[in-house]
Amino acid sequence: MPRKPVSLGWGVKKEGKSIWTRNANKGVSVRGERRKRSGKIEWRRWDPYKSKVAAALLTTNGDPSQILPEPGSVCLYLGASSGTTVSHIHDHVCGAENHHNGQLMAVEISPRMMRDLQSLAGQRKGLIPVLTDARDVNGYATIMRSKAQWIHQDLSIADQAQNFISIAEKTLSKGGTGLLSLKAASERSIEGGDESRFARAESLLRQSSLDFIERIDIGQYQEQHVVFHVKCL
Amino acid sequence: MEIWYDWRLSRVVDAEGNVLDQVNWSASSSVNALVDRLSELQSGRLSPEARVLANRFPEAVSNPLGAISDDSWPELSKEESEMLSEASIALAKKGVAASASDPDRRLDMLSSSSIELRASWTTQEARSVEWTGLFLPDLDLDDRRADIPLYVSKSRDIEHLATELGVSIPDHPPSESEWSAMNSQAKGVVSLSERLLLNEQATKELANSYVPSLSSLIGPLGAARMVVLAGGRERLARMPSGSLQVLGASGAMAAHRRGAPPPKHSPVLFSMPLVSRSPRWVRGKIARFLAGKCSIAVRIDHFGGQTWDDEEIKKIHREAESIRDRFPKPPKRG
Repeated sequence: MPRKPVSLGWGVKKEGKSIWTRNANKGVSVRGERRKRSGKIEWRRWDPYKSKVAAALLTTNGDPSQILPEPGSVCLYLGASSGTTVSHIHDHVCGAENHHNGQLMAVEISPRMMRDLQSLAGQRKGLIPVLTDARDVNGYATIMRSKAQWIHQDLSIADQAQNFISIAEKTLSKGGTGLLSLKAASERSIEGGDESRFARAESLLRQSSLDFIERIDIGQYQEQHVVFHVKCL
Repeated sequence: MEIWYDWRLSRVVDAEGNVLDQVNWSASSSVNALVDRLSELQSGRLSPEARVLANRFPEAVSNPLGAISDDSWPELSKEESEMLSEASIALAKKGVAASASDPDRRLDMLSSSSIELRASWTTQEARSVEWTGLFLPDLDLDDRRADIPLYVSKSRDIEHLATELGVSIPDHPPSESEWSAMNSQAKGVVSLSERLLLNEQATKELANSYVPSLSSLIGPLGAARMVVLAGGRERLARMPSGSLQVLGASGAMAAHRRGAPPPKHSPVLFSMPLVSRSPRWVRGKIARFLAGKCSIAVRIDHFGGQTWDDEEIKKIHREAESIRDRFPKPPKRG
């Protein structure tokens, strides 16, 4: 029985437990994900087992549409990897031929990943690949159109929360949404295991100038991970 | 007073937000020129326009976050957007290509490939020897070990092989298809030996030039392995020597965190006869001493010090031997 789709924004919808984005590059799957047509629109399945943002959309207790950026906004994606999640964000923020006029900055330090990312950018207007260390804000701040309305940080480094706070304070615009995907295995070993690492990151975020919205446990899709949702006041 | 800038223009702005001066990028803007510009901006340098303003207003402080924080900063036109897209992709391509000039990455490929080849050579060579030994019971597998794969690969059949190796013709020969399999397996071992040799030669060559002191101290292959395990020469040079001592012993370190005794040495250090041929009660002491010397060596190599000569290396090896001589008996238990 077909489930009734719920719209989470212009280019994202949820059907039961699966999420779909409006494909900005028709006829092409980025990582072999399923595609389906409905009328003139082609939808691309967003796999929560591969993407932390998709996992957060499915597991949040709040309104999932609050996690997503607005179409046409400036977005900063730190730790873009080979661009799986980035491509879905691009579907929503830029759309085909970037008709929303969005700017999606995809920052990645690894040349191996950048290889895939830059060929993706060639097919998707509005996606700006930047090969640099995400912690070095000056490496991309002068290329951004304005402060970002949406930031997602997904870096395998120690002190992810401190880095996120310092980057968000510099580059997130007022009222902007920040997502921090925290990987417990990347943090230094402390007493109490993963849970205490999450708690430590949470208390850092709560003490910062950012407004703490929610801690989203995506453990059912990706082990040892949580996503923190914050807003810039 | 601050200088704000992006890739298109630069402004001098006073404390009240008034624009005192502005320089735009000249009309000759092209994608190629923008690639160079973005590359400069990314490495933290000022744009040419910002530099002009910095000369005009020496007291102004440059702020790379100024432009994105300013609501009245000029919007990007459609053409500018397209140009930025194109240039950012070109710059990313350039960066990807430039990663081939990184000796850390080249050493990673060489060293990892050498290790993989050696692992598969060991198993396949042993299989070839055992297989041949099964059919030729008279063959001395220890004395002739080095010859076996080559002889098997070059022989027409098992009788031919037996004659070539000077042993009696077996009563129970392999079937024709069995022999073909055995023969091609041996050919594989021979070609694997060549590939391994070439690989290790190239690894040694790069390690000897990239980390000369470390290479002469623990051997170029071990040095290469250490650099790769650390994730690059710089990271190795910044590691404390205690980390060097257990670099690669990740399983033992994980066990240590769960209460097991700490590892005495990494597999890299253990592969040195100075460690592995010493009595077990001094291995930890020698490994600790060598790890200290390794960390000095790699710092010399990375930060441009005077490379250690043979004299220096011999002195260190003598000192390690003297540690061994100082503890001839195992420590008393209890």
